Amino acid sequence: MKPGDCTPNEHTIHRRRFLQGMGTAGMASLVTSWAGLFSSPAFAEQMKKQQKRCIMLWLCGAPSQFETWDPKPGRPSSGPFGSIPTKIPGVHFSSLMPKCASIADKLCVVRSMKTTQPEHFLAITLLQQGNPQRAGFTRPTLGSVVGHALGQVDTRLPNFILLDPIPGGNEFQSFKAGNWAGWLGAEYGPVRLGGDYTQLAAGNDGLTPADREEREGLRKFFAKKYENDRKSTAARSQNAAFERVRGLMACADLFDLEKLPVGDRLRYGPGSFGLNTLQARHLVENGCPFVMVANGMSWDNHVFQHEIHQMLVPEMDRIVHQLITDLEERGMLDNTLVVAMGEFGRTPWMNAARGRDHYPNAWSLMMAGGGLKRGVVVGETDEDGVDVVSKPHSEQNLFATIFTALGLDPYAEYDLPGMPTFHRVEDRAPAISEILA
Amino acid sequence: MKLEKQKEYKVPTAIHGLTATADGGKLYAACLDGQVLEVDAESGKTEEFEGRHGSFASGCVLLPDGKTLITSGYDGMILWHDTATRKCWRRVKAHSFWSWKMALSPDGRYIASVSGQYLAGGLKYEPLPSPEPCVRVFDTASGEVLRDYHHLPPVLSVAFSPDSRHVAAGNMMGGMRVWNLDTPGQDPVADFTSPDFTSWGTTKSHHYCGGIYDLVFSPDGGTLVACGMGPMVDPMAGNGKMTWQRWDWKASPAKQMDKIKDSDQGSGLMESVAFAPGGAHFVMAGRQAQGTWNAAVFDAVQGGLTCSLDTKCRVTKALFTGTEGTIWLAGAQGQPNRENGKWRDYGRLLRCRFEA
Repeated sequence: MKPGDCTPNEHTIHRRRFLQGMGTAGMASLVTSWAGLFSSPAFAEQMKKQQKRCIMLWLCGAPSQFETWDPKPGRPSSGPFGSIPTKIPGVHFSSLMPKCASIADKLCVVRSMKTTQPEHFLAITLLQQGNPQRAGFTRPTLGSVVGHALGQVDTRLPNFILLDPIPGGNEFQSFKAGNWAGWLGAEYGPVRLGGDYTQLAAGNDGLTPADREEREGLRKFFAKKYENDRKSTAARSQNAAFERVRGLMACADLFDLEKLPVGDRLRYGPGSFGLNTLQARHLVENGCPFVMVANGMSWDNHVFQHEIHQMLVPEMDRIVHQLITDLEERGMLDNTLVVAMGEFGRTPWMNAARGRDHYPNAWSLMMAGGGLKRGVVVGETDEDGVDVVSKPHSEQNLFATIFTALGLDPYAEYDLPGMPTFHRVEDRAPAISEILA
Repeated sequence: MKLEKQKEYKVPTAIHGLTATADGGKLYAACLDGQVLEVDAESGKTEEFEGRHGSFASGCVLLPDGKTLITSGYDGMILWHDTATRKCWRRVKAHSFWSWKMALSPDGRYIASVSGQYLAGGLKYEPLPSPEPCVRVFDTASGEVLRDYHHLPPVLSVAFSPDSRHVAAGNMMGGMRVWNLDTPGQDPVADFTSPDFTSWGTTKSHHYCGGIYDLVFSPDGGTLVACGMGPMVDPMAGNGKMTWQRWDWKASPAKQMDKIKDSDQGSGLMESVAFAPGGAHFVMAGRQAQGTWNAAVFDAVQGGLTCSLDTKCRVTKALFTGTEGTIWLAGAQGQPNRENGKWRDYGRLLRCRFEA
């Protein structure tokens, strides 16, 4: 598999999608040319609905499993919050999550994550790349792999979008474009948006559209010539970035929250995490295969653990509930994988600063939607949540699950001339079969 | 002047609330596991009360007759206990969220409990106003609610004036309000904010944290001393400056009279402030992030630090008892890891001696 290529399985999927789309388009209108086919609104709409996509709610800093998916009421590790029953008989969530409890029959919870990195940057890298690092080689992150494999060619909408209202607020600041996309190339890195980003459509150069197009053609010619003459990776990256920004400007309306219904904004908001999640729903609805929503690094509660989780968890509860419910109502849940996770869990014991510290030994995450069963809880921790008592699951198991759910071969081999052999998931680590549909 | 540790007792979990009998012979502790403990001041021997809270026990006061102990908890409940039998004889649902703290009026007639959940109320995570009053005043005899007051949640601290006629409460945003208990209605007689007790993260996280963790009226009732932690760029760091401020709450507008001197400050959250009998000094204590002390005695007139102590553990409550010069400091060390299936005790109770 070369960068830009995809596996035979993905070809099959795309062909099927294509044929399905053609049938629908044929019924709607007479298709007289390829161009006509692709510009058919009915076909485009069908393609959008059929496309696999993923929304990752990246809970950066790492939430506490005790205050979310794996409460231990009455135990010394429990903290001040109780637990509540869910739609799954015998399964309890934290009392801070009544809305998720009410849709637990649509969710998959993994309570048996066990990873190795207790430090943020290394753990984020591990949980974004899905495999241990190998010195000298930069593996692409999940969003880049999915965007590369499932993204549409020549789409104006980026294939990997990262929404983060605090761009300087987490370890992602240290990720440059190459870190995100690794050996796939910078064009597969995310387009990052955040903060009060509303000016995409503003053209203030005074040019007419025709003049602007002419100028752009000239720029493109010289930029490509420079890139080819010098075989410059930097120039390639810059050109890729430029193209993506141009694409982004052309679909600026998709990024304008003000254009979304007030009712939606009220249900997801008022915090920026919720509004960005609404934005993510809107973007995947319009064809973006991978959107990651982060919110700074607010879950890293070494101090004030319970005082801050009592605000963050109810917000997440509401956002996850809204997102899953919306996707289902719009007929998108079967094709949209939603993942809510951090880079590790929090300690069963509290430190002297009334906080919980980093804990990769036994933690939880939630997935739902495309490719997964519904209403499944996998794995178990001991009575205090100190260790996993069932089969532990690593980042490789997780990524094998995500790729499989998205219809991608988890063990596909990259074709990287002059480099060692790499796969999407190394060591043929198995997917978490209990949750795969 | 000297502040030194004389004794240290261990209890199973952290202590959040502490009170003592008039003679200082017995202590009562509200603990994180919901337990209420009686502790013999001399031996450290503990006895458990029968009634316990369904979550962290957070407050603990003893009525002047010494017969009734009242505790509050993160289960939103207030419990009345008989100190002789150690049985709970009244349970009142005070709040739908935590009782962060509770205070007893000096005349023993009222308790006030403060609550409020921090929920996102705006794009920048401004707290959402609470649907229920965050400050509630109860009759200690009947258990009935006498007064309800609104304050922006979460409300972390509460205190009564020495004449038992006013109640003050401080919140996470540094907002302080004082109400006259004799006056019906919601309007506070003082309403002011200090920006020096709260943080809104400009890196890492966009939300507020910190706040006024304790309040106390000066013995003459004219000023209010608040304690907590100064602003942080990264609210997860826990390294804001150790802070107290003294306010003339009767002035209009309220006026800051004094504050901790720069040279006295370490960093860390200060959770308790209490005046010494006589009012010449007050103690502030909490957790040390950086510095040389986490409990210190200050001159009430000059404001300067007179003596200090590094207790090597977080302090949640400082309490002067009837025994002259005795300060009890309650709190916790970090909770130890579970070993061989057992959790070790991490709550701490320190008897300290203050010599003026």
